[in-house]
Amino acid sequence: MDFRFRRAIITGKAGARIISIIDKNRGTTWAGRTALGIDPDFFSGLSGIDPSRVLFVTGTNGKSTLTALISHILASKGFNVLTNSGGANMTSGVASALVKGADMSGRINADYCIFEVDERYLHEIRQYVSCDNLLVSNLEKDQAQRNGDPDFIYRKIAGVLDEFRMNVFLNGDEPRSCALADHSDHTVFYAAQRHNRAFRKDDTFVTLPCPHCRSRIRFAYHNNDGVGRFKCDKCGYTNNNGRDKADYLLKDADFDKKTFVINDLTFPMPYDEPYMLYNYAAAVAVCKEFAGITEEESAAAIATFTVPEGRIVNIEYKGLNMKYFMFKQENPETLQNFINAAAADPDEKVIILGFGVVDTFDPHYINSFYAFECDYSALAESNLRKILVVTDTSAYDAANCLIYGGIDPSVIEVIPTNDPEKILDAAMGLDCGNIYLTVNMTTFKQIRKFAEKNR
Amino acid sequence: MSERKLEIAWMYPDTLYLHGERGNIMALVRYAMELGMTPHVKRIDLGTRDFDPLDYDILFFGPGEISSFSSIISDISRYRHTLAEYIASGKVLIATGTTVTMFGEKIVRLGDTEGAEGEVIDGLCIIPAMAYERDYVYGNDLYTRAEYNGYSMELVGNQIQMADYGYSENEQYRRFGTVIYGRGNNGSDGIDGAVLVNSVFTGMLGPVLVNNPWLTVRLLQTAASVGGIRTSSEPLRFNLEQKSLKLKKQFIESKNTV
Repeated sequence: MDFRFRRAIITGKAGARIISIIDKNRGTTWAGRTALGIDPDFFSGLSGIDPSRVLFVTGTNGKSTLTALISHILASKGFNVLTNSGGANMTSGVASALVKGADMSGRINADYCIFEVDERYLHEIRQYVSCDNLLVSNLEKDQAQRNGDPDFIYRKIAGVLDEFRMNVFLNGDEPRSCALADHSDHTVFYAAQRHNRAFRKDDTFVTLPCPHCRSRIRFAYHNNDGVGRFKCDKCGYTNNNGRDKADYLLKDADFDKKTFVINDLTFPMPYDEPYMLYNYAAAVAVCKEFAGITEEESAAAIATFTVPEGRIVNIEYKGLNMKYFMFKQENPETLQNFINAAAADPDEKVIILGFGVVDTFDPHYINSFYAFECDYSALAESNLRKILVVTDTSAYDAANCLIYGGIDPSVIEVIPTNDPEKILDAAMGLDCGNIYLTVNMTTFKQIRKFAEKNR
Repeated sequence: MSERKLEIAWMYPDTLYLHGERGNIMALVRYAMELGMTPHVKRIDLGTRDFDPLDYDILFFGPGEISSFSSIISDISRYRHTLAEYIASGKVLIATGTTVTMFGEKIVRLGDTEGAEGEVIDGLCIIPAMAYERDYVYGNDLYTRAEYNGYSMELVGNQIQMADYGYSENEQYRRFGTVIYGRGNNGSDGIDGAVLVNSVFTGMLGPVLVNNPWLTVRLLQTAASVGGIRTSSEPLRFNLEQKSLKLKKQFIESKNTV
């Protein structure tokens, strides 16, 4: 065995072990970065990887949850699953998982490898790791500063499929990613029937251009923002890339009973947000096609699934119980999910909303234009006590956006600060126990830290 | 006799669909009403029949993907000459984001290999500009001093730049914004966008007409004046936007990156 490769494995494993003793949530990329630093050909030294048993999970939203859910179902069946966790979805994150999963000779002994892969790193990672299977959750507007527009990502993924001819699992209800079927010889579509939390958006909202002819895509309804029954005005392009029906159709979603049906079997619904329906359908499809796991086995495993890094976090502060909803900046879908969840709550509520600085990449900048993609009408009609708009850069923009969205200006209070104490004190002063919080990640971390310290 | 409506054409909204730019239409409607006009918005899609630009007072083109430009340019070819007449007559066209490059002479796309040029798209030749697709996206704040119809104003927003372009300023093609912070058209000439008669081409997003209502009002007043529509002379107040501008300027001034 090559000396450098052996040193990369040993150093990577040892470092990962030490980091996990200190904090098991840290060091998700350290081992991979170190291994690749020692041996740039690290990937080629690995053995035992069967590409037919490797799945990459990519897309705009849902990658981490889907990767965790599929891994959970496979593990419940007794398979040894190698996966990358904690959102470490770039090359070093995948390398880290492989370092940890390899024995000292570099052999991977897992039954299945399930890797979450950042859309932009898909080509690079596929070059290093042979993989026959790709799941694309959806391709939506996201990270404009990094991706520019969704077509940029679509072309990247299409290029990978053209080069490597992978089997694909696609969301048949999401118009853009659904068209990737044109770039694969074997596509499995998953979809969901209209459910009772589906909604429409009127003509004051935009949809997207048809991936085939660039004309207008029209939605009959949205099961989730940008996902639902659609058709192109001009060429007729429609769900499942024109196929009659999805291979796996989720039906009869019942948010009260927390159940849904796939292939005539009733499944439990441990997380009852509408966006989760597509994750369930995708996971059932993948596990059946990819690993021969029956619907009954998937149903039993889904019942015990817990989302690892919750999109919803409860924060307590001096008797206040706040529900934090993670939203990704520059991503209207996750903001719309928050709005819909808050609007669906009939009880009186306070909302804390903060857009803030986009600080994921340099240069940091102020961007809240994506908030204009969202529909606030249901929120406007819900039982609002107050909306506190916060952050020292974007509070007035958020207020303005809400007013444009039809929210009564008298329920909006502008608090142009990032100071967690001022924000929480303002919420305390409203004497309402039902608080929804969605702010950019930096402000959230500050608020959580302050609340934990001053509980 | 009742005053005629202010006719706004929202051009290809589901094809030029990026960056929350429906907010600009909302701002035009809001301030048209505050100016005492009755706005009417019509969506114009690929293939919309009987569309004549001259029936409108404002045409708005939002930002879109370069992949869509050929389809739109082909559609516009049906009324290309009328569009030129529309602009020359002093009516107001607003184009934002990367869509501005569609109004230039050519757009050179990236090739498959690094540094190679790819497909060349023939533009609408309304601005004498060549555009080159960038090999990475440039996203940042954009802060300018803009000149429009004799008015000078500060504008703030942001920019998601997928293609750079440039043109030579002259009597006909004037700069829209002078960049105080940000990239502008290409990062070297300090210019954002262009003004041709009363039409504005700008890379500024935000949405620009929401964040900068002082511009929105000038555009509306111009459109009304050209179209012979009466407007109210009541002064408008922009309380939230002015406070927002102040916060953003503070943030921009504290930055040490461009």
